[in-house]
Amino acid sequence: MKVDSGSVMEAMDGMQDESDAVSLCSLFAGSESFGIDTRKIREVLGKRDLQRVPMAPAYIGGVVPYRGEVLTTVNLRALLGMGENSAASCILVLEDDEVAERFGLMVDEVGGVVTVNRRMLETNPCTLEARGKWLFDGAYKMQTGLMVQLDPAKLRPSRLAETGLFKQTVNGQGGTGAMDASTDSR
Amino acid sequence: MDDLTKEFIAESQEGLDRMERCLTELEVRPDDGELVGDIFRSVHTIKGTTGFLGFDRLEKLAHTGEHLLGSLRDGKLAVTSELISGLLSLLDGLRAILTLIEETGGEGTRTDDEDGELIAELTALNGAAPPPVEAAHHDDAEVHATAVPAAGGAAVAGMGSGDKTLRIDVDVLNRMMNLVGELVLTRNQMLQSNTEAANFPELARRLDSVTADLRETVMQARMQPVGNLFGKFPRLVRDLARTCGRDVRIEFSGQETGLDKSLLEAIKDPLTHAVRNSVDHGIEAPHIRVLAGKPAEGCVKLRAFHQGGSVVIEVADDGAGIGIERVLAKAVERNLVTAEQAAGMSEREALQLIFLPGFSTAAAVTNVSGRGVGMDVVRANVEKVGGSVEVESKMGQGTTLRLRVPLTLAIVPALVVRSGGQSFALPQTALVELVYVPRRDAQKAIEKIGAAELYRLRERLLPMVWLDRLLGLDSQWTDEAHGFYLAVLEAEGCRYGLVVDDLLAPEEIVVKPLSSVLREIGLFSGATVLGNGTLALILDIAATAARAGVKPMEEEVEEVDDAEATAANASDVSFMVFEDRVKERTALPLDVVERIESVPLAQIEYAGGRALLQYRGDLLPLRDDGNVLAEMEAGDQTGAETLVTVLICANAGAGGRHRIGMVVRRVLDVSTGKMLDKDEATDGMELALVKEKLTMVHHQFGAGAVTAWKEVA
Repeated sequence: MKVDSGSVMEAMDGMQDESDAVSLCSLFAGSESFGIDTRKIREVLGKRDLQRVPMAPAYIGGVVPYRGEVLTTVNLRALLGMGENSAASCILVLEDDEVAERFGLMVDEVGGVVTVNRRMLETNPCTLEARGKWLFDGAYKMQTGLMVQLDPAKLRPSRLAETGLFKQTVNGQGGTGAMDASTDSR
Repeated sequence: MDDLTKEFIAESQEGLDRMERCLTELEVRPDDGELVGDIFRSVHTIKGTTGFLGFDRLEKLAHTGEHLLGSLRDGKLAVTSELISGLLSLLDGLRAILTLIEETGGEGTRTDDEDGELIAELTALNGAAPPPVEAAHHDDAEVHATAVPAAGGAAVAGMGSGDKTLRIDVDVLNRMMNLVGELVLTRNQMLQSNTEAANFPELARRLDSVTADLRETVMQARMQPVGNLFGKFPRLVRDLARTCGRDVRIEFSGQETGLDKSLLEAIKDPLTHAVRNSVDHGIEAPHIRVLAGKPAEGCVKLRAFHQGGSVVIEVADDGAGIGIERVLAKAVERNLVTAEQAAGMSEREALQLIFLPGFSTAAAVTNVSGRGVGMDVVRANVEKVGGSVEVESKMGQGTTLRLRVPLTLAIVPALVVRSGGQSFALPQTALVELVYVPRRDAQKAIEKIGAAELYRLRERLLPMVWLDRLLGLDSQWTDEAHGFYLAVLEAEGCRYGLVVDDLLAPEEIVVKPLSSVLREIGLFSGATVLGNGTLALILDIAATAARAGVKPMEEEVEEVDDAEATAANASDVSFMVFEDRVKERTALPLDVVERIESVPLAQIEYAGGRALLQYRGDLLPLRDDGNVLAEMEAGDQTGAETLVTVLICANAGAGGRHRIGMVVRRVLDVSTGKMLDKDEATDGMELALVKEKLTMVHHQFGAGAVTAWKEVA
């Protein structure tokens, strides 16, 4: 088990750390708690107002201005199939080093930094449905419960679009909107 | 590479560019001694400097060329087509070595043999006269004469190394530096002051003006005349025409039109392609042209001009034009459209097909074009920089390709609108006009054909597109009294009214690109940060039209409409129709009426039996044809204030402009009508048909006319 999870981590990260200690930034969506490797986080913007983008896939929360760029932000709640959150959301700026693409992640709350031993990572259960398998990267057993690890590279908006796993939500919302509008205006 | 060499390369390349232009001109005007002098100087400058820098190979070639040009200058040789070709290959040879030096730092020796051939060719052209050993070291003054204007010229690009470097006028640079200094000073003052300080608004204003100036100066520095780009076309057209066996002349206009450097680079390839197309596909072979009754020599016109915030570059040829049937047949053959679709296409739509990938109508694949990659690349390249491409073609008369590019990429004027609680930016270039429809008129204003909603704008039906519905936003009509705005937009031949909830300020917006996922939506061309710090999406006007199903209009229909409208306007006059005498309609030309005033009856005074009104310090004579005043005086028993309607009319007569008041019972309408023949008996009155009713028209307001007219029913 240990060896397994280690090799998975290596494959995911593409890097080999001598130390097993990993620091994760904890964040929350609904009642669930997640962790993202702090090295992949560029900045925590805190609570911001998002500009929504009409007709965008449902997992796109909107856009925010960030250092002269327009940052596309992924809505974690929407990815998990949760409803809208009435309170303002926190935005994390993530960066994918491989493609030098920056994007935002919209979560309910950002906790703090926790250091875990990467050998303690439990792999995804085999009963997990496909979307969960894509999003989640295993979990750590914390005292308060499980903290699910997320892989920023897989949260990248363009990759989410490529997988097609989240199309369902797109058609559910954006698609019908377009149909209505086009019939109306004709 | 040291600075000296770099400078030499940049200067030499400029010289060669000039030489290229001169050479093609020389072919047209072989007797122009000045041109020969110019060419000679270019080559001479290169030769002089290369010897100094130690590029032997370059010097040897330049020397041979100089010798040949010297003979030409002295009149020992005549300008022939072979000579020009020889000189052009000299030019290419020199350019190739310069490029080699630029890339490797050395001129290389491996390809020496090619030079030998070229030198032999040039020598042969020179009538085998052996080149004198030292040609012209004495006229150094000439070298300076060419070098100085090149360095002093404002913002001239070195074409070869020009991709990375840009020559800027020192004045422009100084102005920029001054403005940056000003910016720093203003910042310092702002830091010391605070938002409550009395002078803060003033500081903000100054910051605004400094920013605007600085932006303009930087833009100016980046502006390059389009002529820089045009310069290489005479050569291209000449070479192409020879390969294709055509006889082609090229004409330019608007070379001085400025365009941002990056844009100039971006349209270089599309434009080259367009010119190639014109020569190869457009212009027919000379014998075919003669058969068609056209001069044997074809003409390609390159034209650049400003139009509404963008620069338009036209490539027009007087060739065969694009055959619609052939386009359609080819499109069907290549499975780009189905036969049914093709049958239902208008001419304009069919022409658009040439922009589809994998389309080429060339009957034969030639060396130059016809491989099926072409117009789609042109369009893609132009659209990449926010421009558009249109094509117009008349069978047998020629084709015009129009590239429309924005002046600059980064900053565009836009109108910010709100719809469904969100802000959107509409580029001003697409905006034709704005119409406000009050809530109470909304039901009447919208007309329907089936489910399609239309707005009647000056008797033309405009398809309405509701932005909030199109984008699937919640309609936010909270305020019942508030109406909506119709932004009349035009893009790629589509004209439609976009319904938005509210208009915010027009702003100059800085365009930021969107991530690929959001670009795929296809409705937004970017985003921008507004003055209040929030983001707004920039709407892609053409894509929005396409999404809403708005089709490009038939342009010819429009032309006819316009022609009819103007023809109708010529004979129609706008009238203000009113009633003065009971049961009679009288009218005045609308441009005569300045104001309509409601005056209390008591204010009207009488002198010598004439009614007068004191109006803005003037005494205004009143004309009361229908005895309205007398009737009112008689009926004014109640004591309540009676109001008289007076039209203030101005008449620019021979004795200057004078006004007159016209007392009327009521104003009826403003309408257009046709003048009937003038009836002599009516003296100053004419008859007109306004809304199919007979109406009398006052024509003159001479003082004499007040008393003496008779009535004609």
